[in-house]
Amino acid sequence: MSTATMKRPRSAAPGAAGGGRLTFAGVLRSEFIKFFSLPSTLILILSTLVVMVGIAALSVWGVGASLKAMGSDPEMAAQMGDLNELTASLPSSGLIFAQLVIGAMAVMVMSSEFATGSARSTFVATPTRQPVFWAKALMVAVVSALVALASLLAAFFVARPIAENYDLPLDFASEMSQRNLWFGVLYVVMVALIGLALGTLLRNSAGGIVVLAALFFMLPLAVDGLSMAVSWLADAARFLPDKAGTALMQVPGAAGALEPWALGLVVGAWIVLPLAAAAVLLQRRDI
Amino acid sequence: MLRNVEGMITAEALTKNYGTKRAVDGISFTVQPGKVTGFLGPNGAGKSTTMRMVVGLDRPSFGSVKVNGRGYAEHRAPLREVGALLEAKSVHRSRSARTHLRALAATHSIPATRVDEVIELTGLGAVASKKVGGFSLGMGQRLGIAVALLGDPQTLILDEPVNGLDPEGVLWVRNLARHQAAQGKTVFISSHLMSEMALTADHLIVIGRGRIIADAPIEHIIGGANVPTCKVKTDSAEQLMNGLAAHDVQLTRVDAQTIQVTGLDGRAIATRALELQILVHELTPVRQSLEEAYMALTQDEVEYHSHLGNELAATSTGKQGQA
Repeated sequence: MSTATMKRPRSAAPGAAGGGRLTFAGVLRSEFIKFFSLPSTLILILSTLVVMVGIAALSVWGVGASLKAMGSDPEMAAQMGDLNELTASLPSSGLIFAQLVIGAMAVMVMSSEFATGSARSTFVATPTRQPVFWAKALMVAVVSALVALASLLAAFFVARPIAENYDLPLDFASEMSQRNLWFGVLYVVMVALIGLALGTLLRNSAGGIVVLAALFFMLPLAVDGLSMAVSWLADAARFLPDKAGTALMQVPGAAGALEPWALGLVVGAWIVLPLAAAAVLLQRRDI
Repeated sequence: MLRNVEGMITAEALTKNYGTKRAVDGISFTVQPGKVTGFLGPNGAGKSTTMRMVVGLDRPSFGSVKVNGRGYAEHRAPLREVGALLEAKSVHRSRSARTHLRALAATHSIPATRVDEVIELTGLGAVASKKVGGFSLGMGQRLGIAVALLGDPQTLILDEPVNGLDPEGVLWVRNLARHQAAQGKTVFISSHLMSEMALTADHLIVIGRGRIIADAPIEHIIGGANVPTCKVKTDSAEQLMNGLAAHDVQLTRVDAQTIQVTGLDGRAIATRALELQILVHELTPVRQSLEEAYMALTQDEVEYHSHLGNELAATSTGKQGQA
C-alpha cells in the first residue's frame, strides 16, 4: 500500500458516525454479516446438502437392491410393517455425517473468534457479551434448521424415484416420513447448539469438534459395547443426545425406549444446559 | 475540572491477577479530555491489561475503571463512547477489511457511509476488499485504528498504535492523536517508546510491574525547573530514604549507595541529611531527558524486586511489595 494515499485526520463533525445504540437486532445483523462473509460457510452448507442427498440415494439403492436379491421370500411379506419404518428412515440416513459437518460449523462460529482474535473487536463493540452469544445461538439454530430441512427434503425427493424403482413404500405424508423430517431437523439443531456451546466453552476449534465427535460417535459406541457387561449403562445410554435425538425420529413405544415426553425433555436439556453453561462462563471469563 | 466526568477515564485501585501473578497492582489514575495521555512502561508492565479492563475485555480482580462516569459495558452505545485499538489484527483472516468494519458498524446501526469514511481516513481504500490475512502489520494497525474511529468516539484508546508502522504512518498516528485531543477528545496511548511519547503526549502515566511510577505532565517527568531532581550518594541510603519520604517526594534507588530524589532541591536534601547525621558524599542536580527519567523510573521497579525487598517498598513510595 502506498503511504501517499493517507489522509490527514478530518475534522469529525459531531455525530459523524450517525447511527444509534447497541441493539440485539444490530448484533444479530453483525453476526450474519460475519458468518456469510466466510467462504467456509458456503462450502460447509453445500457439503451438508451433497452428503445428505448422496447417502440417502445410496442407502435406498442398497436396501432396494438387497431386497430384490432376496426375491419373493415369503418371510419378507410378514415384515412389511418394519419395512415401512425402515424405508421412511432412509432419506435421513446421511444425518450421521451431516450432523458432524453442521456441528463443526457451529463450534467455529464462536471458536474462530478466539482463534483469530476477532473476539476482541466483537466484544469491545458489544461489551455486555450476552447479545453476541444469543445472536450466534439464534443464527446457528435458524441456519442449521434451514440447512437440515433443505437437505432432508432434497434427500427425500432424490430417494423417492429410486425407492419406487424397487417398489419400496416412501410416502411423504406418512407419519414416519414426517417424523424423520421434523425430528431430523430438531436433531441437527440440537447438535449445532451443543457445538456452539462447546466452541464457547473451549474457545478452540479442534478441541470443540473433537469433543462433539466424541459425544455423538465415540461415547454411544463405547456405551453400547460396555453395556453388555454393565447392565445399567444401557439405561443410561438412552439419555445420550445421540440416542435421545434419534429415538424421537422412530416410532414411539419400542421396548425399553423412553416415553416421547421424556425424550423431548432429554433433548431439551441437551440444548438448554450446555448453552446456559457457555453463556455463564462467557460472562465470567476474560476475553 | 473534576466536576464533569465527560470524556474522562477514571481508574480506582484497579487490580488484575492472573493466577498468582499480579499484572496490575491497585492503580488509580484519571485520563483527561483535550490532551494526549501517554501510558508508558516496559513490556509486561500491565499497559495492555489495564486498557483491556477499560473496555471490559478483562474483569478487574479488584477496583474499578469508568469511562465518562460509568463502566464501559453500561453505556448504551459503547462504540460511540470509546474507540479502542488493542492488538493489530483482531480480525478473522478470511474476512475483508470492509466486511469486518461493516459487521462492527451493524451492531450500532452505524451507516455504511461511515465505514467508507474511516477506510478513506486510514488510507485503506486500496486494500479494503482484500482478505485481512494478507495484511502487513502496518495495514493491520491501520485497520485497528479504522475500527477505533468507527463510532466517532469521545475517547480513543490506542495500545501501541505505532508498532509496525513506517515513519510516515508514525507521523500520521501522532497527528491523528494530537488532532483528536485538540478537538477536546480524550486520547490514551500506550507505548514502550519514550521518544515517541515525548513527541505525542501532553501528560504521562508511567507504569512498571503493574504499578504507577509517575503520573504528571510530560515536562515534569522530563524534569522541569519546578521539580528538581538530585542524585545522592551515601552509605546509609535506606536511612536517608526513610528520612526523605514524603508525599511529593519521589525516591528511586539506583544502586546500593545511590538514590535519585525528585521533588527536593540539593539544599533541602543536605539539610535533612545533616539532621539525620547521614554522610552524603555526592549530591548532583540532574536534568533528565524523558528517556533517562523513564529508565530511572522503571529500573527502580526491577531493582528493588531483585535485591532490596519489602522493607524498602514500604518506606520509599508506600507501595506494598508483591510475592
